[in-house]
Amino acid sequence: MDIRAEGISRRYFRRTGEANYFEAVCRTDFTVEAGKVTVLLGRSGSGKTTLLHMLAGLLTPTGGKIFLGDTDLYSLEDKALSEIRNKRIGVIPQGRSVIDTLTVLENILLPAALYGGESRGQEALEWMKKLDIAHLADSRPTELSGGELRRVAIVRALAGKPEVILADEPTGDLDDENTALVLSALRDAARDGAAVLLVTHEGEAKQYADEVWRMNAGTLTREERN
Amino acid sequence: MTKRRMFLRMITASLLRRRSRMLVALLSIGIGATILSGLVTIYYDVPRQMGAQFRNYGANMIFVSADGTSLDAEKTAEALSLIPKEKILGATPYRYTSAQMVRNQLSFVAAGTDFEQVQATSPYFMVDGAYPSASRQVLLGKEVAKTIGAKLNSMVEISWKPSVTEASGDTELKPGAYLAGSAEGFNSALVYVTLKLGDDLSIAEMTVNADSQTAEFGGRCAEESFTKQFIGKLIPLTAGTDVDAMTGATVTSQAVVDAVNKARPTENAQAATGNSLSLQVTGILDTGGDEEQYIFLSLSDMEALTGEQDRFDVMELSVSASAEELEEYVSQITDKSGSVSARLVKRVTRSEAAVLTKLQSLVFLVTAVVLLLTMICVSTTMMAVVTERRKEIGLRKALGASDSSIRLEFLGEGIFLGALGGLLGSVLGFGFAQVVSVNVFGSSIQFQPLLLPLTVAVSMLIAALSCMLPIKRAVQIDPALVLKGE
Repeated sequence: MDIRAEGISRRYFRRTGEANYFEAVCRTDFTVEAGKVTVLLGRSGSGKTTLLHMLAGLLTPTGGKIFLGDTDLYSLEDKALSEIRNKRIGVIPQGRSVIDTLTVLENILLPAALYGGESRGQEALEWMKKLDIAHLADSRPTELSGGELRRVAIVRALAGKPEVILADEPTGDLDDENTALVLSALRDAARDGAAVLLVTHEGEAKQYADEVWRMNAGTLTREERN
Repeated sequence: MTKRRMFLRMITASLLRRRSRMLVALLSIGIGATILSGLVTIYYDVPRQMGAQFRNYGANMIFVSADGTSLDAEKTAEALSLIPKEKILGATPYRYTSAQMVRNQLSFVAAGTDFEQVQATSPYFMVDGAYPSASRQVLLGKEVAKTIGAKLNSMVEISWKPSVTEASGDTELKPGAYLAGSAEGFNSALVYVTLKLGDDLSIAEMTVNADSQTAEFGGRCAEESFTKQFIGKLIPLTAGTDVDAMTGATVTSQAVVDAVNKARPTENAQAATGNSLSLQVTGILDTGGDEEQYIFLSLSDMEALTGEQDRFDVMELSVSASAEELEEYVSQITDKSGSVSARLVKRVTRSEAAVLTKLQSLVFLVTAVVLLLTMICVSTTMMAVVTERRKEIGLRKALGASDSSIRLEFLGEGIFLGALGGLLGSVLGFGFAQVVSVNVFGSSIQFQPLLLPLTVAVSMLIAALSCMLPIKRAVQIDPALVLKGE
């Protein structure tokens, strides 16, 4: 299912400086289409992550709306929005995003456990094998390298078979081999019907992209593909 | 992994991971619960403990006759049966009369009583020597002993004369009845007469006790030459008409006539004629109160002296009960017993109630303050836990945990800690109460089984309340900020 931003903006208010706010995202229309990998490029601080968080239902826009299919995400109550985040959107956050008191497998199954739905153990195991972390299932996150932790976060997002996958710098900590593994995994997810957004500042992801957008100071422009 | 298992896993993982913090929280709840359980135990035990202590300060209830006459032993026993037996620490009957020391003719108040009960209702009585334990023994008030110069183990002879007020309530004159009367003579001193009626209700026999009058004048009114004028005459008499006054003793003569006219029937000859007893002083009573001016003898000696049986003027009771219970007993006795009137010794019961209220308020206040401190401590600890787990909470929200599930988890942690601390506190609290009770009141207390669930429940509630602010903080965590690493 597509996820669509309509005229969204996000202002951050400041106490100092010339203006009393700055706009991280300015009145932007943007769609991540189902079945496609959309790559969003841009320099650090250009507003990419802010846009991704708004799409993920984590950050309320200061203007505009976000639709998942026909559902206006931010018109929902916390409970309903939380459930959508859990069941229909897979977020791969930037940086370290695991709970150290749980094992790797528990971390991966955490989203499923939060709602007590069907166990996603089988899918999880397949993805773990694909991304070469199956042998770490019972390890503690503290015993893992940065690259391994990244892949744990990716498997956690993919195991739930979400309709939308929002990946924030998913290949940041990875070597070339693992980068290729991850990017192709995301492309496979898109082939299976998911709307995949890949936010990165590296150009390498372009070769997996169906669409490429570039963000500059809160404004999006679409790159024409040859 | 099911939702519930994950929930438990998260709680236990969080508790174990932050062992030292959790230990602090557990300890503060434990201490709070200990104080709560301990003080509540004391709170409920204080009236019992203090009640026993208060009983050292004397009787808190008295029985008197409802109609102003004397108490009947049987009716008194009936009234007494309306109070639970185990609550009555002592019930002391007193029969008061006026008696004279034969040696120096000084009058004192004599009180017939049950010495065993006296020791229960008036534990503060200080006796030099011992309480009388056999018949013909007497306990003298300190003032009495001083006035008459009596020493321990010496013998004193006391005499008793009937007076109008001593006579029984029956005023109908019957053939053969004994009558006793008294009236004021010279210098307002009492003159006593004793009469026996003949079959025609005229005076058959008569004796006069005019010892209080001047021997060579009024004293002569006791002589037969004067009293024979009364024989064969019907009451009332008129001085000057029926009886000629004794020369030089007009006042005393008039007093004898008045005494005859006021004479009332008594139960027997002895009650009419008076009596005297020789008693051994076994103890001298020091109370600092009016009792020091009394002569105390046993009820049986009092009966031997006055000839009256099973009659008291007042019964003092020491009842171990709360102010409300005492009021209840009084109203029951008033309702059911017509002739006995029960009253509370307000001075004692009021001060008891006041002390208890103050003590209980203090206990309540201390408990409230300790619970408040516990709340602050637990709240601070949980706030630190929330801060430590900020990233984790943000991540779980990003993965779809709703605000309510975050609330539930922290509440679960708090309630678990509360239950554990409550159990700990219940056990320690009983020990604490026991130590306080033994050291302060000098007696042990009983375990209140109901207190265990109460303490656990209150601890859980306190812990849950303490978690409110930390939970609010946890729910406010912005996952977007956390994921950005801010």
